[in-house]
Amino acid sequence: MEKPIRSGLAHRLTPRGRKDFIFAIVLLLPTLYILMKTFVLPILQSLLWSFYKYNLMDNSAVEFVGLRNYTQIFQLGDFWTSMGNTAYFTVFTVAAELIFGFFSALLLNQTFRGQLFFRGMIIIPWAMLTLVNGLMWNWIYQPGYGAFTVMLHDLHLLGANDNPVWMSSSFKIMTFASIADIWKMTPYMTLLLLAGLQAVPNSLYEAAVIDGAGFWKKIRYITIPQLMPAIVVAVVLRIIGAFRVYDILTVFSTDPKTSVSYLTFNYAFRYFYLGRASAMAWISTLFILAMIIVYIRMLKKNAENA
Amino acid sequence: MEKPLATTAPAPPALYRKSLKTMLFRVTGSELIPPFYLWLGLILLALFTLSPFLYFLGSSVSSATDLMSGRLLPHSPTIDNYVRLFQGTTGADFTAAIRNSVYVALWTTAFTIFIGVFAAYALAKINFPFRSTSLLVILAMQLLPSISIIVPMYMNMRDGISIGIPFTSIVFYRTPPLLDTIAGLVVAYTTFSLPFAIWLMAGYFQTISKELEEAAYVDGNGRLGTMFRIVLPLSMPGIAATAIFTMLNAWDEFIFASAFTQTAAAKTLPVAIREFIGRHSIDWGLMTAGGFIASLPPVVISLFLYRYIVGGLSAGGVKE
Repeated sequence: MEKPIRSGLAHRLTPRGRKDFIFAIVLLLPTLYILMKTFVLPILQSLLWSFYKYNLMDNSAVEFVGLRNYTQIFQLGDFWTSMGNTAYFTVFTVAAELIFGFFSALLLNQTFRGQLFFRGMIIIPWAMLTLVNGLMWNWIYQPGYGAFTVMLHDLHLLGANDNPVWMSSSFKIMTFASIADIWKMTPYMTLLLLAGLQAVPNSLYEAAVIDGAGFWKKIRYITIPQLMPAIVVAVVLRIIGAFRVYDILTVFSTDPKTSVSYLTFNYAFRYFYLGRASAMAWISTLFILAMIIVYIRMLKKNAENA
Repeated sequence: MEKPLATTAPAPPALYRKSLKTMLFRVTGSELIPPFYLWLGLILLALFTLSPFLYFLGSSVSSATDLMSGRLLPHSPTIDNYVRLFQGTTGADFTAAIRNSVYVALWTTAFTIFIGVFAAYALAKINFPFRSTSLLVILAMQLLPSISIIVPMYMNMRDGISIGIPFTSIVFYRTPPLLDTIAGLVVAYTTFSLPFAIWLMAGYFQTISKELEEAAYVDGNGRLGTMFRIVLPLSMPGIAATAIFTMLNAWDEFIFASAFTQTAAAKTLPVAIREFIGRHSIDWGLMTAGGFIASLPPVVISLFLYRYIVGGLSAGGVKE
């Protein structure tokens, strides 16, 4: 049997196809050039440096060390601390954002008076500057006069003379930073899920009512299964986003061990170990690439099912 | 089993109570949540969303004594913090930061759209080998973290970027060092926003019907004519949405800006605001006022252009 020819290639063989191909390349040329120059080559450069001992302060001592940067990173306590912190942050924020986002999407998907106001309102946290969001929550968590402490005092959850310093350990820093991120990014999750909810056919719910299904049964057997593709895509997207957390943490702590990005940044721009920083960056890159592959597979699967 | 119909009319008060209960706790049609829980949820959602923001806004108009006394609302509102924000050296730096942020955002958007629109057209409308693979590679580029490229990017900026033929020693032009310049930030941001803009615009272009294009062909328009007379005008909402997103991203970016800028010549708003945190103490009045001013443009833009923002959000990994 003859092998089917890929339509793209077959198309290129026709005169019009060849002309189209050349035209497409011409249109793509500026983009290809820029991305090659400022993205592809640098990222490969970074891969190369990750095999070198390279200190910016001491240009003469560039030396090929093979995988030593990587093995050293894996023996580094700081690296594993930052990994653990990042993992905690990622799991905590994505789980909370999914739960809150799901329920607020359910609320906003219903028709009610003032819908536009509520839908518009939830976009405010998302639109705020990421860094300012960190500072805002840092202000809220201030010991003594910050809103969080004041409210706990007012509610008598905290004794009148108790005045805890909230950011006293890296675990607490990550927890409080997570809350800041949850506040900012839940609306994003909500809007992604809201788009998914609008595609769920109403007739399914109407049929469920006739069968006498209550709220939880409808959620369990209709909403969640129907929404699953959107949920998976949104969660993967948020994992990618949460893993590279940087802005919030620089505001909350001067300790670079709080996240992988922060540690990498410090290795590059405070200690100037470019080789080791590149290796660290590549470990993050590989993890994100793996997530991106999952994401793309999910998108493709969703497109096929649609 | 069906409920038997009531044979005798119940007393009026009981009927009233019952109907209120039904009104609050029964769902109609395909709705999921009874009105009572719906409004309870909405009120909680509003509290969760608005209270930190309003507290922040209130703090920015509080006097220093109010800020330090643990009052949740300002007792004697004052615009003192905003006045201080624009005075003296702080004021000069802050004004410079606003100017830098505006320039960086606008130039990045202009470059990104101008270059990206051609690539998006090619990827959306022309059938050529590796087309869908290219789109996926571009999606991957958009999702990669800044940290994976920041070190080589820094070296590029330090040495200046050469424009020439790749893989040869032919160089037409080499820029001066770009560290601590607006141009450097524009290059860095364009690198990251270009893949995202292409992905988003290609998505919009694909929704323009083929029939219109075929008709334009028949009328004697070439590829370029079709693109400029048919596809681009019809995709204006999509292009506008992409421009808004590019602008918001550039306005928000912090990690490149903090690595590549040192002085008021190129510091953007996030970097300038980050510096309100001193070594030992933070001037909360300045910080809240500055933070509010810096957040106002993106918040207002998002509220006014809500429709476009929501369309774009579902199109891919945007503004993290």
